[in-house]
Amino acid sequence: MNTLTDNSIMLKVKAGDLDKIGLLFERYNRPLYGFLFHMTYQRETSEDMVQQVFYKMLKYRHTFTGSGEVKHWMYSIARNVLKDQVRRKKLAMSGESVEVVASHVAAGLTPEEHLEKKQAKLALQKAMARLSEDYREVLTLNKFQELKYHEIADILGASETAIRTRVHRAMQELKSIYVRMEQ
Amino acid sequence: MKCAQCEELFTDLVNHELAPAEKEKVERHLAGCPDCTLELVSFKQLWGEMEAVETPVPSAYLKVKFQAMLETYKESVKEEENTAWDTLKEQWKRLWKVQPRWPMAYNLAVILAGFAITWWVAVPQKTGDQGQQLKVLSAQVTELKQTMMLTMLENPSASERMRAVSYTTELKQADAQVIDALLTTLDNDPNVNVRLSTLDALSGMAAYPEVREGLIRSITGQKDPLMQSAIADVMLKLQEKRSVGSLKKLLRQKDLDHGVREKINQTINSLI
Ligand SMILES: [Zn+2]
Repeated sequence: MNTLTDNSIMLKVKAGDLDKIGLLFERYNRPLYGFLFHMTYQRETSEDMVQQVFYKMLKYRHTFTGSGEVKHWMYSIARNVLKDQVRRKKLAMSGESVEVVASHVAAGLTPEEHLEKKQAKLALQKAMARLSEDYREVLTLNKFQELKYHEIADILGASETAIRTRVHRAMQELKSIYVRMEQ
Repeated sequence: MKCAQCEELFTDLVNHELAPAEKEKVERHLAGCPDCTLELVSFKQLWGEMEAVETPVPSAYLKVKFQAMLETYKESVKEEENTAWDTLKEQWKRLWKVQPRWPMAYNLAVILAGFAITWWVAVPQKTGDQGQQLKVLSAQVTELKQTMMLTMLENPSASERMRAVSYTTELKQADAQVIDALLTTLDNDPNVNVRLSTLDALSGMAAYPEVREGLIRSITGQKDPLMQSAIADVMLKLQEKRSVGSLKKLLRQKDLDHGVREKINQTINSLI
């Protein structure tokens, strides 16, 4: 039914039809929240940040030219919001948030899940939390947000080759953390 | 192709980001290398397990908050347009009604009126009208500034909220609603910079008794050392003796910052 592209929606918002941003909210609040959650492991803060992303899109709507993808623009805004947040609140983004992660994972489990699976999942999530921010960021975008290398390159303002390398290294790092944890 | 080279392409392989020629090379290597094949199996397993990592979804409340933000934003845009229009209208009026805006001329007219009552009586409504219009206009501007400020205080961006707070210093007089909003911000804003500038704005409104009382009430609730110390400064500046009780209560907090404790003790000593 709804065949409007993201870009045409955003151009309408830019032209003054501010309500149309609701459509972009419907499409992207979950992925953006997912990205911000994996970067902070804090639910409420992530919701606040999603809110800020949409606020900034409204505020800076005139800077959207339509030449790039709205999705990429949104993620770059999200990264900036995240940077601000970290600077302001000195958010702990890795290391000590492992406990927080553990509690979140526990909260998300259904009773019928097997203990073994539970533990493996928990271990992997812990390993993710121990990755450096740069690595966690590319892996989140690549694996959880299912973005292609060229898209990540666009969001991060890096070359596709650089992203290719970074994702590969992130996976190597994740694997070695994971293996060390299992021992 | 060497084993190391092959392994380096696993991520690209599972991501379907390999050019056909590269993919073929990898497959050819794998066909003849059990080590790499085994390595790929374990890699794919890890890659698959990552899918099980939980990504929570936002609460239903997020949408409500989003809608509220959108409505507030739309309001503020509308108000900006209105303000622009009002300023324009005002300037335009000023152009051809110079005299009445000039207080001297207005006073002069009043003095003259004393001498020339007959003339005054002949054209009473006009002068009255203009004075009335001016009053209405200036009241409108004040009201607009107030509404704008109250809206902006709800803004998710801290810098916007700071701007809102700074607006209040431009208001010639603050009504109960503005004072209330500022006191709420003082107690509840998540950003310490916003709270500090709110304190600053409020300390400039100390002529209002409800501001003084609100400030005193706020003392015990402040958790941030910066805020505790700043509010003690304000109490000293205002020579607010009634704050001593609240300040003493603050001293009873065990985890109170050492420097703050010292400052509060000094403040209390200077006040009593
Ligand atoms: Zn090999």
